[in-house]
Amino acid sequence: MSDPGPRPAVRVHRHPAAPAPVLRQVRAGVEEEGVPSDVVDVPGPAGATALAAAAAADSPLGVGIGLAADGAAAVQHRTLPGDRPVTTAPAGAGPTEWRRIGRVAARVVKRLPLG
Amino acid sequence: MGAPDPGRPPGRLVVGVDIGNSTTEACLAAVAPDGTVAYLATDLTRTTGVKGTPDNTAGALTAVRGALARSGRDAGEVEAVLLNEATPVISGLAMETITETIITESTMIGHNPATPGGEGLGVGTTVPIGALPGQPPGAPVVCVVPPGADFEDVAAAVNAAVAAGVDVVAAVLAGDDAVLVTNRLHRPVPVVDEVAAVERVPLGMLAAVEVAAPGRTIRTLSNSYGLATVFGLDPAQTRQVSPVARALTGNRSAVVVRTPTGDVTDRRIPVGELVLHGAGRTLRVDVDAGAEAIMDAVARVQPLDDADGEPGTHVGGMLAQVRDTMADVMDVAGQPGVPVSEIAIRDVLAVDTFVPAEVRGGLAGEVALENAVALAAMVRTSRSRMQLVADRVSEQLGAAARIGGVEGEMAVGGALTTPGVDRPVAVLDLGGGSTDAALLTRDGECTAVHVAGAGELVTKLIGSELALEDREVAEGVKRFPLATVESFFHLRHEDGTVQFVDQPLPPHVFARVVVLTAEGPAPVPTRHALHHVRRVRRDAKRRVFVVNALRALRQVAPGGNLRALDFVVLLGGSALDFEIPDLVADALAPYGVVCGTGNVLGTEGPRTAVAAGLVRAHAAHLVECPAG
Repeated sequence: MSDPGPRPAVRVHRHPAAPAPVLRQVRAGVEEEGVPSDVVDVPGPAGATALAAAAAADSPLGVGIGLAADGAAAVQHRTLPGDRPVTTAPAGAGPTEWRRIGRVAARVVKRLPLG
Repeated sequence: MGAPDPGRPPGRLVVGVDIGNSTTEACLAAVAPDGTVAYLATDLTRTTGVKGTPDNTAGALTAVRGALARSGRDAGEVEAVLLNEATPVISGLAMETITETIITESTMIGHNPATPGGEGLGVGTTVPIGALPGQPPGAPVVCVVPPGADFEDVAAAVNAAVAAGVDVVAAVLAGDDAVLVTNRLHRPVPVVDEVAAVERVPLGMLAAVEVAAPGRTIRTLSNSYGLATVFGLDPAQTRQVSPVARALTGNRSAVVVRTPTGDVTDRRIPVGELVLHGAGRTLRVDVDAGAEAIMDAVARVQPLDDADGEPGTHVGGMLAQVRDTMADVMDVAGQPGVPVSEIAIRDVLAVDTFVPAEVRGGLAGEVALENAVALAAMVRTSRSRMQLVADRVSEQLGAAARIGGVEGEMAVGGALTTPGVDRPVAVLDLGGGSTDAALLTRDGECTAVHVAGAGELVTKLIGSELALEDREVAEGVKRFPLATVESFFHLRHEDGTVQFVDQPLPPHVFARVVVLTAEGPAPVPTRHALHHVRRVRRDAKRRVFVVNALRALRQVAPGGNLRALDFVVLLGGSALDFEIPDLVADALAPYGVVCGTGNVLGTEGPRTAVAAGLVRAHAAHLVECPAG
């Protein structure tokens, strides 16, 4: 985990219980697109969508990822309504989906088609 | 026919009905005994069945009843229904590649993943990642990584090998991990990923991997002499690999593997000869000579009597297919079938185009744009079945129904109701399958021609050149302006105008090139930028409609001279297109012609010209022979 500083990065809000492989693949997805990411542990009952919305509000790039305790994930952009994330992945989705979550977040930053 | 109500235009009611390929249009009017016409209402509906067949009856009745309802008149008041003489003009389309890139023995991976890693050129022997530890130090190797490998393991293996003295100069990956691996290498090398068939990369062979810096394109592997330098090729071998270099041009990354038996051929497929009969002679032209040569030949045999291709060639097959489709279309239950031999092709439009074709022998689903020729062919037969339609309409409506004049003449008559138009006038009816032109001289003489190629061909060209798999998407690109979605809340139109929206745009259109349909933005599935899509769209319209407008007008213009024309009125569905009328008007501007989209009756736009013309001709006829 890197220092949560002011550098432009996709902000990841992760419940401490979120499975480590999820975080690893999500961050790999962001990195493969050449975009930095920062991770903040956020304990509490919030779901992936709410975590992503808070992360987006905190991110210098306006893009956040939420990882819930059950491994569910969501991507959110600061301008979007809180209940309408860019994309989500259910709990137990698998490495390909987790990688996609990271890629989508990075591609929102880069203004590239999310495919 | 009851007495006319007070306050209503005097005269007998007549309805002109134009059954077209896609729409059926009706124009209701009251014709006074002195020939004065009061237009009451028009209506438009989808054509039922194929134009010129009895199935058209339902659509014709719908349009007639629609026009009656709009004017509050009753079917019993109608004295005559006037139908167009629907000359069955049926057009067919065929497209065939004339070049083919074949790669045998996996010589090339013309691969261009979204996110390659590292940069530069690495040349070495291909080695599977598992065999890295056993490699002799100093000999350059290109590491080949199978699917499912973890990026940290790959980076660790390469770092360990490099530490042991193995000269790893590049890597080829199955997964989407190039940046991740490169970021973890102590000595970064160019890495190409997303090579789906990585197991087919030949091992133990000399390979070159090139990755350009972001925003740049490769320089060595896209250059024939660069390939020759890298692989030590002699001039004959260099000639052989030059198609590889060409196929890699514009890529950000590429892999080329040199295999001893490797061979790339870039061959021209003998498409065959097109045989054109007309003007008392027969001309033969090789289809792979290109559209220009074909159209020159077509111009020299005007008027064309028939066209065919040698059996067993692509062009023979293309024309046979067109003829068969037409024979099927003209088949009507209860009527003798139309022998294929009776169907004469009366016009051909050839267009050079590109067809995306998967490179045979490629490793990552590479696609090359192969040269192709598209042919639109058009048939006219004398077997109009409009009398059957007329009989059935008459029966169901309880009014006389008769077949009125030739479409071209009627269209000109209708076009004359456009404000600002006078004789001599030429019309261009820009349709779906054919482009029709007609000229009415000052003396009232009318000539009309049909040429092959119209809206359908434009859709097909757009679809193949942009590799769009769905015809509806291509149709959307043709019909609607483009925009790029730049954020969840704004999009930039093709003219640069930026528009903000209240509701967030859906993620599936984010950062995409979209067409602006009535239902909202729809994504165009392409990696091309907006300006490329726009250029393809406009070029397709130009190659079909501008080319056809000029050659159709030349066929009706006095002495073939476009300067002899005064007014040109654009009609038909494609005249409603947002740019086709401008493209045609621009092309006609140098000839001093007044050209614009028609506005039939001053209200109907480019539609209903034939229906209004039928009424007009009927009224004129009444005056000439009052007994009628």
